[in-house]
Amino acid sequence: MKKPLILQVEDDPNDVFLFSRAFKKAQVDADLRSIEDGDAFITFLDHLAETGGQPPTLVLLDIKLPRKSGFEVLEWIRAHPQFKRLPVIMLTSSAQPLDVRRAYDLGANAYLVKPMDVDEIVRLLGTIRDFWLTANITPSGEQPVTAEPMRK
Amino acid sequence: MNPAPNRLFGEPRDIVSMSPQDSHADSIRFDAEPDVMGDKANILLVDDRSDKLLALQAVLSSLDQNLVIARSGKEALRHLLQTEFAVILLDVSMPGMDGFETASMIRKRPATEHTPIIFVTSMNQSENQIARGYQLGAVDYILTPIVPTVLRSKVSVFVELYKRTEEIKRQAERLRHLEEAALKRQLTDAVDRLEAETKRNRFFTLSLDMLAIADFDGFMLQLNPNWEKTLGYNENELRTRPGIEFVHPADQAGMAREMNRLRAGESCYFEGRYRCKQGAYRWLGWTAAPFPAERLIYIFARDITPQKNSEAEIHQLNAQLNKRVQQLTDTNRELEAFCYSISHDLRAPLRAMHGFSQALVADHTESLNEEGRHYVDRIANSAKYMDSMLRDLLEYSRLTLCDLPVGPLDLEHELGEVLRNLDQEIAARRAAVEITLDARRASAHPATFRQVFWNLVTNALKFVPHERAPHVRIQSEQNGTHVRISVIDNGIGIPAEHCDRVFNLFERLHRDPAFPGTGVGLAVVRRATERMGGRVGVDSKPNEGSRFWVELPVTNHEETADTPGRG
Repeated sequence: MKKPLILQVEDDPNDVFLFSRAFKKAQVDADLRSIEDGDAFITFLDHLAETGGQPPTLVLLDIKLPRKSGFEVLEWIRAHPQFKRLPVIMLTSSAQPLDVRRAYDLGANAYLVKPMDVDEIVRLLGTIRDFWLTANITPSGEQPVTAEPMRK
Repeated sequence: MNPAPNRLFGEPRDIVSMSPQDSHADSIRFDAEPDVMGDKANILLVDDRSDKLLALQAVLSSLDQNLVIARSGKEALRHLLQTEFAVILLDVSMPGMDGFETASMIRKRPATEHTPIIFVTSMNQSENQIARGYQLGAVDYILTPIVPTVLRSKVSVFVELYKRTEEIKRQAERLRHLEEAALKRQLTDAVDRLEAETKRNRFFTLSLDMLAIADFDGFMLQLNPNWEKTLGYNENELRTRPGIEFVHPADQAGMAREMNRLRAGESCYFEGRYRCKQGAYRWLGWTAAPFPAERLIYIFARDITPQKNSEAEIHQLNAQLNKRVQQLTDTNRELEAFCYSISHDLRAPLRAMHGFSQALVADHTESLNEEGRHYVDRIANSAKYMDSMLRDLLEYSRLTLCDLPVGPLDLEHELGEVLRNLDQEIAARRAAVEITLDARRASAHPATFRQVFWNLVTNALKFVPHERAPHVRIQSEQNGTHVRISVIDNGIGIPAEHCDRVFNLFERLHRDPAFPGTGVGLAVVRRATERMGGRVGVDSKPNEGSRFWVELPVTNHEETADTPGRG
């Protein structure tokens, strides 16, 4: 069985680095790939749809992105016949109620604020692993991976 | 002498028998006055001899008229001055003033010029005498001895004549009266009309409006003085040129349109600029009403230049205001974008600074000495502090931008929630918190209310020296239409000169690390309270603790009877 794929749509290379660092520290048994903007992400999904490649298990989506914002990307996903049920977690530095409401209105599955502390990031990724990759059943029909984290 | 004429025969009972003793008297007295206005005529009998008078009376009494006697020419003249007579019977030969002399005197007076005189004389009078009598205006002669029937018929002719004349005179008089009354009425009417017209003309002249009458070709026929006063043209200048020539070119089409409406019989109001003699234009408001039968237009015009100017001014001010509102809206939008940017873009590099400092210590701890680790800690702490400042600032800004709908609150419930959220802090400081509520309800936005008191209680716990256990009292009391909620601490207090400043944004009175903070908490308290229609304040003295208070309206118009239950 292939490892679950987590796609992080994030334009800030610092965040990309700190999250991938924490990802390793949290020992998440999944592939983490980052895409730097909304357009590139949509191109990637279009390509998947054409080639029939493996869709991501989870999307971590920033709001403030160059060219296409996270909200626009989310709308696009929810309107897409193949990806409309894709689990999308907003991962952003904004805790503004307006942004939170809008994200849920557009169909986000969760809303997380990027922590300040690196240890907090590690803990957050552990939580994501436990909930979204372990406990949660995804609509694509995939079985949750066993509670025992699989090691490479 | 009795001036009243004596009546010989009036009513039969008035007849007074004459006795010889009475004959010496000048006249015979009667009780009654002569019947001047009655239908009886007066007949004057003049003779110096009583027997002759008596004879005349006897003959004429059957005519049933007033007989007045005079015993001399002089006396006769006196009677004639006072009374009108139908006929005079005058004895020619009398001592003193004789008949002719008397007659000539009578004729000299215009009033008696035409009174018929019948001379009474004896047969032996000469022809000469008779001729003289006629010359003097005698109308007839009676010769003595008198033939009663002749005398009676002659006198009665004159009486009849007199009565007819009197009747005609009376009728003429009546007619004259009637005509006079009619004329008088006409005159009064004319005077009244003239007066009314004069008064109306005064309106025309005195009116503050410009009044005019124009014809259907647009020429003024009549103008009041205000035209000249307002526009500077004299009446002649205004009357000899069609009105439209004075109108501003831009308003001429409009005026021509209104003229057509007027000619069609419609009244109208319009506003247009009129050129003054000095060349400037003044705005006139025209009310005009046509009278098509006479092809006349009545015009009431008013100088509305000041109103027009203020209208233009108001218009300009409105435009400015709208521009200003637009600018403010833009500014607000920019502010929102700014807040968004703070929460997002500005915090990202801070998070990176903080994150990489931590990663540096964690991943490369062996290559750093203690001093190096201390420096990295300071970088991380500064980044973290700046991040909390940004977060607080964002919260503060949000209070300006967000809608905060207020409703009735149960103070005990809301304050309980606040304290539950602060459980850990209260326990850590071993603090005592007391709530005493004399007023239990206020109108506020629930989440914002909790934020205000979270900040105030946190503040009360914070500014107590570490060796002292905080004692916080929360009290409420109704103060008219407002509820005052106070948070009282036993902390370090605030010098009086700083009490006003503590609510300012980023205002910090202490750099002491014992009292950390960003200086936003109390600014949030004030902004939030003011947005909910309340006010804040503080009473404090150094080392005697502080009393922060918040006043909120008890009710607002949106309030319903429902009270939120305890949750």
